[in-house]
Amino acid sequence: MSLLAVRDVSKRFGGVKALAGVTFTIEPGQVLGIIGPNGAGKTTLLNCISGLTRADAGDIRWEEQSISGMPPYRIARLGIGRTFQIVRPFPSMTVRENTAMGALFGRPDGRLQPGAALKEADEVLNLVGLGEKRHHTVLRLTVPDRKRLEVARALAMRPRLLLLDEVMAGLNSVEVEQALTMVRRVQEQGVTIVLIEHVMKVIVGVCSQALVLNFGRTLVEGPPAEVLNDPRVIEAYLGERYARRQKPPPDRSPNGEGNEKT
Amino acid sequence: MIAREERVPRSLRRFALPIGIALLAFVILVPLTSTDAAQQAGLPLLADKLWFRIATTVAMFVVMASAWNIIGGLTGYASFGNVAFFGIGAYTVGVLVSSRGWPFPLALIVAPVTATVFALIVGIPLLRLRGHYFAVATLGIGVAVGEVVNNLAPLGASTGLFLPIVRSDLLFFYLMLGAAALAVCSTWLILRTRFGYGLLAIRENEEAAKIIGVNTNLYKVAAFCIAAALTGLAGGIFAQWNSFINQENVFAISDNVQMILMAVVGGAGTVLGPVAGAISLELIIQTLAGGGSKAVYSQIGLGVLLAVCVIFIPRGVIDFFGGQSRLSLRYLRQTLRETSA
Amino acid sequence: MSQFTQQVILGLLLGGIYVAVALGFSLVWGILNIVNLAHGALVIVGSYITWDLFTRWHIDPFLSLPIDALVLFVIGYALQRGVINRVIRAPLLFTFLLTFGINLIIVSLLLLIFTPDFRSVTPSYSGNGLHLGSVTIPYIRFGGLVVAFLLAGAMWTILNRTRIGAAILAVGADRDAAQLVGIDLRHMYALTFGIGAAFAGVAGGIISTFQSITPTAGDPYTLQAFAVVILGGLGRVSATVLGGLTFGLIEILGQSGPGPGYANAIAFVVLVIVLVVRPRGLLGRLA
Repeated sequence: MSLLAVRDVSKRFGGVKALAGVTFTIEPGQVLGIIGPNGAGKTTLLNCISGLTRADAGDIRWEEQSISGMPPYRIARLGIGRTFQIVRPFPSMTVRENTAMGALFGRPDGRLQPGAALKEADEVLNLVGLGEKRHHTVLRLTVPDRKRLEVARALAMRPRLLLLDEVMAGLNSVEVEQALTMVRRVQEQGVTIVLIEHVMKVIVGVCSQALVLNFGRTLVEGPPAEVLNDPRVIEAYLGERYARRQKPPPDRSPNGEGNEKT
Repeated sequence: MIAREERVPRSLRRFALPIGIALLAFVILVPLTSTDAAQQAGLPLLADKLWFRIATTVAMFVVMASAWNIIGGLTGYASFGNVAFFGIGAYTVGVLVSSRGWPFPLALIVAPVTATVFALIVGIPLLRLRGHYFAVATLGIGVAVGEVVNNLAPLGASTGLFLPIVRSDLLFFYLMLGAAALAVCSTWLILRTRFGYGLLAIRENEEAAKIIGVNTNLYKVAAFCIAAALTGLAGGIFAQWNSFINQENVFAISDNVQMILMAVVGGAGTVLGPVAGAISLELIIQTLAGGGSKAVYSQIGLGVLLAVCVIFIPRGVIDFFGGQSRLSLRYLRQTLRETSA
Repeated sequence: MSQFTQQVILGLLLGGIYVAVALGFSLVWGILNIVNLAHGALVIVGSYITWDLFTRWHIDPFLSLPIDALVLFVIGYALQRGVINRVIRAPLLFTFLLTFGINLIIVSLLLLIFTPDFRSVTPSYSGNGLHLGSVTIPYIRFGGLVVAFLLAGAMWTILNRTRIGAAILAVGADRDAAQLVGIDLRHMYALTFGIGAAFAGVAGGIISTFQSITPTAGDPYTLQAFAVVILGGLGRVSATVLGGLTFGLIEILGQSGPGPGYANAIAFVVLVIVLVVRPRGLLGRLA
């Protein structure tokens, strides 16, 4: 039984078709990388899964149970945690309090009291490498640390599925390495992961499966190495002419697209 | 968990706590000097008519500012319609006592209930709005309900409602003080539960709150209803205390703005901020009003006070005196630089 | 049937007033992101100027409209430059409280200067009207409607055909970017608010011709201006015109149900329904 099954999901914004019938499944323990040019519908897809956006058509199932149209907080409590590409911390709280909020509300099992939630937060913060900064206010954090905090808050929910929206964007190569280590550690704890990424190194480095979105459709799906060498993918990213000229495709071509919203 | 008190420096807390307790004891005990027994025992009269009127009014605004703080300060939804709850509470008591002949205590129990039911009905659609839209839509509630009341004959229309007079300064003072204590304790309690953290999360970032599992709609409506119940209670007490209510004295938008200003100036989102704000501002306003003879000047005073507070202390008095910044010219200049064009 | 036609005409004429009142409010909100709670008070200041000129020197109310605009522009410019500019980057609640405070001060000053007595402007032609069969069109109301359309045209021209308008729109679109291309923000904020106040003043001048004025008579107009902007949608002159006319119709037809005296309640109900059902308004781009 797959953990999450997305079937034929479509979403329109005015005249723009953000998603045009996307289908895929995620098996427990997998790390699925979703890539695609800017505007391909990646973030919209995550929004549909986490319930912030309601899909126009199609169905999303969590272990056979349909979650389409369910409010976000209930989806969260089923065990689906996520991060935002543009981080959304609780600005007047400390790092520790921010993280504890995830433990306080997002648990699928039982309810934590504030004290227990704080203890839980400490554990998670050590895992993501923010242990020493737990008493800082969010405003003092650097960009990579804010991204870590975003992951920490989601992890404190003890999710079974973690949706990461470009947690590596805007990080330098050392920071990307650190973030990769973090993702691997999370995966080792048995959390299934879906990550949206532009940095190809990440896809190849941690993903067991990759999916390419273009114009709201699935372009290619398969093992990362194969997917990245697929001429259709190179074309989608760099244009047709480039694809013809470059016989052996570069392995990290569309790197560094920065922080732009997808 | 979220120890807001930590922001207040220890030195301030060391002084503030004893002073606060002393003040509270004074306020609770002084009215007793007005009783016959105390007078016969030769105690000095420390609480005269004017004292009672001002103290009861202050306590009333403590209730309203604290209640506003629950929806505005903790949840981040700046409601301009709380005065409608006050008016509905007042009219509940007014109608039940004057036309139905209910005893006041029984009517007073119903007041918060009607206010809460009303909050539930308007809260469900309105709490989906944000920012300006929420603020003006709620502003409309007070104005609209006031207008409807003003037109309905069973509610006394524009004449208003007269209640049988109950002469007991002590009773109304202690009732209002009790309501104030209830409001403050509710805030304190809320801030220590999951519910309170959920409200703070909504204020800080509503989308993020949803995504970590906060049932935002339920929480917002619940906070609105709690604020309504407390404000309605204050309105109910006011109706019998004042023994006359009409659209102008229980649905005044300026009362709503006053409670916001009190909460904001004192420190929105804190337990004691609205209390400090209500006491200090109401005393200033009462002084400006000069016993009611110069109502126009007190309005101008309130207007100037609004402008001064908003321009110079956008982060509230508690933050102003405590926190990393002190009462200093540097701080003033900094806030001005941060907020001005 | 003619009863209905008469109602529709009265609704449109009333709607003209709402257009006039809402134009400045919408400009200030759209560009400065300030919901100006003192807008109604500024409107009434315009009414008092017209009344004063009429009773003192018998100046026709329609001729005093440019004076209303000029005086209110100066007041508005000074208010924004001297006071509101200081909180323009503070949270929304603060501009709310501040403009409410300004409203209180203006209303109180009007009370001190003009007393709470009812004042009315009665030129010789007030009460006369054009009779078309059983339908009557009061001259004064019709004049108001014409002025409202002139105002809408003026606003459109300022925004779309002048350098200042281009600068104002740039400030509304992105303050920081506007600054980068060399626009003096403080001046533009003040100019925008001044123009908004000037339009309010003209609206007030019209209002004084058919309604008795008191210092507090402006309060309902703030809420109504808000309802008009919500109804039409923020950000376009045409939206304000459509919103204002629709709102006038709704009010007149609505009042034939519950009766007069429910103007605010009707505004509120319209407001809530539109906000919940169609938050972008009839013609709006963005909520």
